[in-house]
Amino acid sequence: MRGIIAFLVAASPLLVGQTQLSAEARAQELDRVAKAATAMVDGDVCLHIQTKRSIEFLQKKDPRDPWIASDNFDVDHPAFIQTKKTLMRLARLCPEACDANLWMPLEGNPEPVQVLIRNVYEMSSFWNWGNLHQPMPDEMKRVLTTGERVTFRGKRGMISVLAPVYDSLGNIVALVEVVSQERRDLQENVK
Amino acid sequence: MQPRRSELRLLFLSRLAITLMAALGCSAGDLLTLPEHFRPDPFGGIVEADRSPGAAPARTIVMEGARASFVSCHLLAIMTQPGDYSLDVGSFPAASGLQVDLYREWFHYLPATKNYYPDALVPIAAQYRSKLPDPDNRVANQTAQAFWLDVWIPSGTAPGTYRLKAALNADGKLSTVPIEVKVLAALVPAEDAVAMDHNTYGTSWLVTDYPSLSKPAGDAFFASDRYFELIQAYHKVLYENRGVFHQLGYGHGGKVGPEFAPRLEGTGKSRHVADWSMYDRHFGPLFDGTAFAKTHLGPRPTKLVYLPINPEWPASFLWWGEPGYEKEFLNVVGEMERHFREKGWTNTRFEMFFNHKKRYKAFPWDGDEARFPNDTAYMLEYKRLLQLAVPPDSPVKFVFRTDSSWTLDRQAKDLAGVVNFWVCGQGELAYQPEVARALKERGDTVWTYGASPLVTEPASHIALQALRPWIWGIDGFVHWMATDAGPDPWFNFAGGAEALVYSGDRFGVGAPIPSVRLKLQRNAVQDIALLNEFRKTHPVEQLRAEAARRFNGTELKDWWSPRPAYADKDPLDRTNADEGVPEGPKFHEALDAGAWQRVRTYVFDLAREVK
Repeated sequence: MRGIIAFLVAASPLLVGQTQLSAEARAQELDRVAKAATAMVDGDVCLHIQTKRSIEFLQKKDPRDPWIASDNFDVDHPAFIQTKKTLMRLARLCPEACDANLWMPLEGNPEPVQVLIRNVYEMSSFWNWGNLHQPMPDEMKRVLTTGERVTFRGKRGMISVLAPVYDSLGNIVALVEVVSQERRDLQENVK
Repeated sequence: MQPRRSELRLLFLSRLAITLMAALGCSAGDLLTLPEHFRPDPFGGIVEADRSPGAAPARTIVMEGARASFVSCHLLAIMTQPGDYSLDVGSFPAASGLQVDLYREWFHYLPATKNYYPDALVPIAAQYRSKLPDPDNRVANQTAQAFWLDVWIPSGTAPGTYRLKAALNADGKLSTVPIEVKVLAALVPAEDAVAMDHNTYGTSWLVTDYPSLSKPAGDAFFASDRYFELIQAYHKVLYENRGVFHQLGYGHGGKVGPEFAPRLEGTGKSRHVADWSMYDRHFGPLFDGTAFAKTHLGPRPTKLVYLPINPEWPASFLWWGEPGYEKEFLNVVGEMERHFREKGWTNTRFEMFFNHKKRYKAFPWDGDEARFPNDTAYMLEYKRLLQLAVPPDSPVKFVFRTDSSWTLDRQAKDLAGVVNFWVCGQGELAYQPEVARALKERGDTVWTYGASPLVTEPASHIALQALRPWIWGIDGFVHWMATDAGPDPWFNFAGGAEALVYSGDRFGVGAPIPSVRLKLQRNAVQDIALLNEFRKTHPVEQLRAEAARRFNGTELKDWWSPRPAYADKDPLDRTNADEGVPEGPKFHEALDAGAWQRVRTYVFDLAREVK
């Protein structure tokens, strides 16, 4: 593990420069990184990211307090940081600016899905800005049920490749979205 | 659909006003005046929120002001029949130095109340031609056009009385009003006693707010001179109106707008600033004050600015907890300190401020409105890093700011000596005067934050936001969002809780335009600055007590709230549904439009003693 990480980091300065790739070539590069994500992201750690208390609040609704779920959103810091760093290292494998985001279904409720870790370019083909959780897109459902990697061409020139994340029992517990954009909007989501 | 009772009343008053005008012999056109705190409606009356017994448009106006300040009033062009008109506002004797700025008041339609309120101010020349009803504003059966008149009294103006005439020409008939300005010997200090801050986030909204600028430029807009001039115009309009503008330049995931930070290169020990050009182009004129050269207040460096520092900038979060994070942070922040020092940017306070929230899923801790106890350690670490990066004898003013609500009392203790700039939830600070006192006693800067009063609230409510910090003995107030007027502020307005300036685009002005509420706030801020000067000769508590008494008939103790029951809960058990102790009606529905005028009278009574 340590050797692979050292390689990724050492190679990163060569890999982060912007290049002009065709959509097909971009999709292939993202797929390569997504495949690595399945190997690198630890599903057991992912299961510990959101605190139990936060999970209890996640779907609570209070007409007098519309922010009850988000005000109580919390994470286990070591699990979050370990996973985020892995995602950041994976993103450095992309030949152009990309993000690797972690998505997880809600515990005990397979329908909604939540992005649990986002990254610096704030890109996603799926995230509705500010949503704590949202309905599960069919593409994510497919990844979580079949274990296939799925390529999705999203809004504003984004391409995402979704890849499964496994725990030590072999269950698919999460998925990684590796995403890049044909022309990045440098001002979007700066808010 | 049946009209409501309030609508019928409004209609009646409007018709009454018009009938009175006609009775006064002004069937063609009539020019009248109103003091600043009685906002006009488009039918010759006063808006519902500001009405009070005896208040009515008049044929003359006398304004009083200290030197180095503005005085203001409304002019009303009233016509009972549709038609063309011209307005000519003359000038004061050149020797007086008094300068006039004239604005056309836009009447915003509010579907919620089904009526019109003036707020956006469109700059116009002192000679202005148009017609009623105004073809742009499209108010059905409009009979009155309102104008906001600002008069700037330079510091060098000799005390005395100065006059000008404004004239309305409609249908070949002339109507004039004399306008008199009494200039006192007192001088409003340049430094405000309370800072009124206006916040916004990012710049992507400028594209939609300024299509006339952004569309022709296309992709080049964000690198164009016009773009940087536009950003600086926001700072300028707020500076000119005795305010501060804050524009956050990074997102919750750490994405930094390229114009808000120098471009970096390298990683780990080689991390460094590669290019300052965009940053300097954006901020240079603000930090050296040249952006404010053509203002009445004159060029001074902007007081405060957000730094782009966040958990992902300048150090990559990939290295958090490892030596590389500290190295990247120290390299770049150290370079920033040197750059600012070499440029002489030593009069602006540079804020390290964390706005991110963990609910946006990019970082494991809350920088803004922290709630969870284990988030505190990050703040301590950033203080350590900042101290290492900035030489202790640096003339560059770095400050550590936090915005606090849930856990203000705990943070005030845990972050003593760490955070030195506090922006506190107003409702939280309201029951913790001891926290305010402790923060001030250790030399910290303390502001509160909240939304802006709606246009449908009486004119004095905007002044309350400036008076309250001064009464509390703290330093300022943040309008948490000051640039978002909504998708259609002109014909479908929600009231402006998040806007004190508007895009000038639809009027051919490639810059923000001010509002009536902003001007009312400015005039209150300058009054407070002057009032605060009298603490040299009067006990400040006496000044505060009298201001409070005149404003809303209260005592100073009434300005603090009793401790609510929820305050004794664990912060994690609190919710937004917890009810605080509401302020009395004297701070809300019973606060009349003329409240600030009574304070101003007190200030000028004191000022008249100045020779």
